[in-house]
Amino acid sequence: MSLVNAKRFLAIIAVAIIAVVFIFPIYFTVVTSLSGKAYISQGSLIPDFYLGNWRDLFTLERWVRAIRNSLIIAAGCVGLGLILCIPAAYVFARIKFGGDRHFFFWLLTNRMAPPVALSIPYLIMFKSIGIWDTHYGAVLAYMVFNIPIGIWLLASFIITIPKEIDYAAFLDGYSLWMYFRKILLPALKPGISVTAFFIWMYSWNEMFMASVITSANAKTLTAELLTTVGRLGWGIEYGVAAAGAIITLVPGLVLLYWARRVLIKGFTFGRL
Amino acid sequence: MKNYVWLFAPALIVLLFIGLVPIFPLVNFSVQKPYAEINEFVGLSHFKKMYSDARWINAIQRTIILALIVLSIEIPLGLILAYFLHRPGLLNAIASAAIVMPALFPYVSIGLMWRLMCSTVGPVGRFLNIFGINYNISIDASQAFATIIVMDVWHWTSITFLILSAAFAAMDPTPILAARTEGATRWQIFRYIQLPNLAFPLLFAILLRLIDVLKIFDEVYVLTSGGPGFNTEFVTQYIRNVALEQWNFGYGSALSLTYLLIIILLCITIMNIMTRGRGVLR
Repeated sequence: MSLVNAKRFLAIIAVAIIAVVFIFPIYFTVVTSLSGKAYISQGSLIPDFYLGNWRDLFTLERWVRAIRNSLIIAAGCVGLGLILCIPAAYVFARIKFGGDRHFFFWLLTNRMAPPVALSIPYLIMFKSIGIWDTHYGAVLAYMVFNIPIGIWLLASFIITIPKEIDYAAFLDGYSLWMYFRKILLPALKPGISVTAFFIWMYSWNEMFMASVITSANAKTLTAELLTTVGRLGWGIEYGVAAAGAIITLVPGLVLLYWARRVLIKGFTFGRL
Repeated sequence: MKNYVWLFAPALIVLLFIGLVPIFPLVNFSVQKPYAEINEFVGLSHFKKMYSDARWINAIQRTIILALIVLSIEIPLGLILAYFLHRPGLLNAIASAAIVMPALFPYVSIGLMWRLMCSTVGPVGRFLNIFGINYNISIDASQAFATIIVMDVWHWTSITFLILSAAFAAMDPTPILAARTEGATRWQIFRYIQLPNLAFPLLFAILLRLIDVLKIFDEVYVLTSGGPGFNTEFVTQYIRNVALEQWNFGYGSALSLTYLLIIILLCITIMNIMTRGRGVLR
């Protein structure tokens, strides 16, 4: 019995160490966000509970706008991404066509492409068609990594839905639209949740493209954070930036909680 | 059912516009003089210049070294953590939640956190001072590089952990139970039953991390801005500097194209290894 207790004790210690190591930098950022400017430079591990940083984050024009832009762009990406990817993933999962493997690989290279390579042409293309520094431009640009990941995830979920259901539905005289609405979409709910989660996370977290293709109107929270701390030295508003960094976590936590059951399937890609 | 192929069209059109069309201006700029208005054709001279550009070669070498170090820490560490924490239970749930937490932050927030942690008054420096180590990443290049490695491991061990935990949890328990009743040791069970089942998830995690670490920029830029000197400048930052700070679109485009090609070739190689087994999609 005592051996079991000792083992349990060691397990608790190990978990405590892991938790402290992974949580500490986040804790320290929370402390900084709750500290006044002079107090921050002392590097204390306990905050002085100065709330001005958080007040600034939710009242100053540039931060409020940045948060709103990030929300609009990420939501737009989820919407457009799902509308584009569900039909495409259906074709990929169900219909074989010549060269589909090569095509699939080309799809994935878009996910691999370094954002720096695409940002230069985007800057010029978007300026010439007038969508530079708009939400439309950012949503469109983010499709370059969201479409590949969306099609891949959704297709791997659609494959697990038996083909016989399709045949039965079409034999019963279902139109394509009816089939999607009555059969595919309800069966695909977990896949849609997982895909929405990943599209949101990639779009919300993206910074490099945002810093090039948005400037004042559509600047995202991540790009605003870069502007605030993207140079060296003190005298920077670390407090409000720390509060902004903590805020970037919130949508991810909410979505993770909402989709926790289906997400584990996402990580096995519905097939392992 | 064959006549539904057109459902692919909307996604394809969007992807062609943002995935393929940008390659043309990139190629176009890469053979021209620096500034777009001059439009002077210079042939392949930008590509020749790359061979003697020390900053470029250093950035490439540095990025490869970082990728190798970071992968050889994150993959085994994620595997060990997943091995011990994949079973249900309160303790395991707490530890898993803590490990996954950093992955939910954007890179730029991670960079800011570590900038706060590693500042001259930050806890990292104070902790190392106890052991008599003088810690200052704005002066000491190797300390800065080590900090970037620690930061990346802290941020992204989570993804390996998640993928492998899911794979452990999805495994068929019958062969493991059978082996246990036959008297197999834990190591034998891991080596001969569990590890073969992890081949695909492991390769997937390696590919995912490799692609991302080759694109590393945000958090390093916030943490060190590539300094001290250019000692922590990675490929993306150098290209960004050339194209978007010196506004040398010509050379910047040539560097971008080369980098794109390197990454795609690397991925073809790894994909071929992956698809030999089970196939990526089908």
